[in-house]
Amino acid sequence: MASGVGVNQNVLDTYQELKLGKKHKYIVFGLSPDNTEIVVTKTSSDNSYETFLADLPEAECRWAIYDFEFERPGEGKRNKLLFVTWAPDDAKIKQKMLFASSKDALRRSLVGISTEIQGTDYSEVAYESVLDKASRGSH
Amino acid sequence: MVNYGGDEVSALVLDIGTSTVRAGYAGDDTPKAIIPTSYGFKKDASAEEDVSMTEPGEEGDASPKPSPKVTMYVGNNGPTVWREGMEVAHPVRDGLIQDFGPIPALASYAFRDVMRCDPTEHPLLVTEPAWNTASNRERMAEIMFEDFGVPAFYIANTGVLNAFAAGKGSALVIDIGHDTASVTPVIDGFVLRKGLAHSALPQLVRAHAHHLLTSSNSSRPGIQLLPHQLIANKQAVDAGVPPRFTLRADRQAGTTESWRKWYEDREVEEWIQAVAGVLDQGWNEQAAAQRGARHYEFATGYNYYFGSERFSVGEQFFTHSPQLVASNPNLPKSIPALITQSLSACDPDIRQVLMGNVVLTGGGSLFAGLSERLSNELSRNFAHVKIHAPGNPTERRYGGWLGGSILASLGTFHQLWISKEEWQEHGSKIVAQRCK
Repeated sequence: MASGVGVNQNVLDTYQELKLGKKHKYIVFGLSPDNTEIVVTKTSSDNSYETFLADLPEAECRWAIYDFEFERPGEGKRNKLLFVTWAPDDAKIKQKMLFASSKDALRRSLVGISTEIQGTDYSEVAYESVLDKASRGSH
Repeated sequence: MVNYGGDEVSALVLDIGTSTVRAGYAGDDTPKAIIPTSYGFKKDASAEEDVSMTEPGEEGDASPKPSPKVTMYVGNNGPTVWREGMEVAHPVRDGLIQDFGPIPALASYAFRDVMRCDPTEHPLLVTEPAWNTASNRERMAEIMFEDFGVPAFYIANTGVLNAFAAGKGSALVIDIGHDTASVTPVIDGFVLRKGLAHSALPQLVRAHAHHLLTSSNSSRPGIQLLPHQLIANKQAVDAGVPPRFTLRADRQAGTTESWRKWYEDREVEEWIQAVAGVLDQGWNEQAAAQRGARHYEFATGYNYYFGSERFSVGEQFFTHSPQLVASNPNLPKSIPALITQSLSACDPDIRQVLMGNVVLTGGGSLFAGLSERLSNELSRNFAHVKIHAPGNPTERRYGGWLGGSILASLGTFHQLWISKEEWQEHGSKIVAQRCK
């Protein structure tokens, strides 16, 4: 079941810039004001994970792509592309519905994501729990 | 009131549950029409003091109704009103519509009589449980297109709607209704069918409460569950004192067994909602006694302070006594058993996602103390458990309807509707293609 919301071309271009060009550290996506399209709301090259978390609003839904870098003991550095679905409990129910039913459209258009995070509060997207998820799936 | 919608208010949403039929406009936060799903009927149409809705059996094809001379009583003045010789029947069993005969009458009452709207002018979204059958949903589409002439139709899964309404693409939806409790794993907006589990647990809880109330114990006699329609007058009595009331002699003969049974069920349900509860840490006689007694008065005037026994009712959701299990091999599964059954059918890496995203919904989940107890039970067995249970009772009770209301109100959703033209061109198979 899907909402029928579309994906703006700019979303795909910005994703390619992050994935291939490494121009951004993370991208935050949202919905256009008329709720018909998924658009880029922010890009950043700030390396601090905390800055990224600050871009997830307390009572509004977002999606995000984060270029997650971590150390595997004895194996060196790894990079993973995280797909974060941010739907805080305090968000309006209509927005939660819209984001949940539109996620598939966005997710399918972005190729090469290794880990998906579904977050409803900050503990679920905290660095440690994300690191745990990202390092578990990598071999 | 929070305004949930905004884009579009022209679509209708219909959610048929075991206990009530909910209908309303997409974009609203509560259904406009909430009517009983059960309906009254009389075989003999001689005493016609009410409006007869439809004559089932006229449509010809299915619904084998014995006599065409059946008068149906639906809606808010339907089964709840005492009528001589009126039987009560329930079209929904096990969460599924088993008898489509009264469905047109129920939908028509909700749309035309309560909402005063013309269904030929509005697209219609209907909800269905995850275990609905293909023939059932096609039948529903057929009724709506052919009998009601809706311009567009969609049928959506309540499990997915509840998950989405909680902002989750993946979730374990625990839906406790009037008759059925179900556990539905939803992954990326699709139901994982093999992980579906449901049982008639709420019925068992009600049966337990019924047994508890009607049988006597050391501190009180058995209680008579008589509906107020059968009582001529009563006097106020002190708590625990035998009631003083007189029955309506004129109604003794004309009361049918099915009506009395249905009403007794309602009396028990009301008692449960007012008084019953469940302890947050498992059964403990002392803890139950400490919680204090609660007062309840029945229609007969009998009133009593219910002590620890009121907590034994909720225990049935979670554990069943060995004697009960031994005596009844087809006992409905408890909530923990349903969850275990559901999870064991899912891949281990999915299980963790599901347990971190449990969505509790359905009117039955408003049972006092249930969400706290569930959270304690699950935390004991799983590492990262997070239960999302809307605090607003309306959101919980009508979660499926509300999800459908938002979805159908989205401007972008309109491309997914099955139009009347498509229905006429492709027939019933388009339902399965479009509504996944």
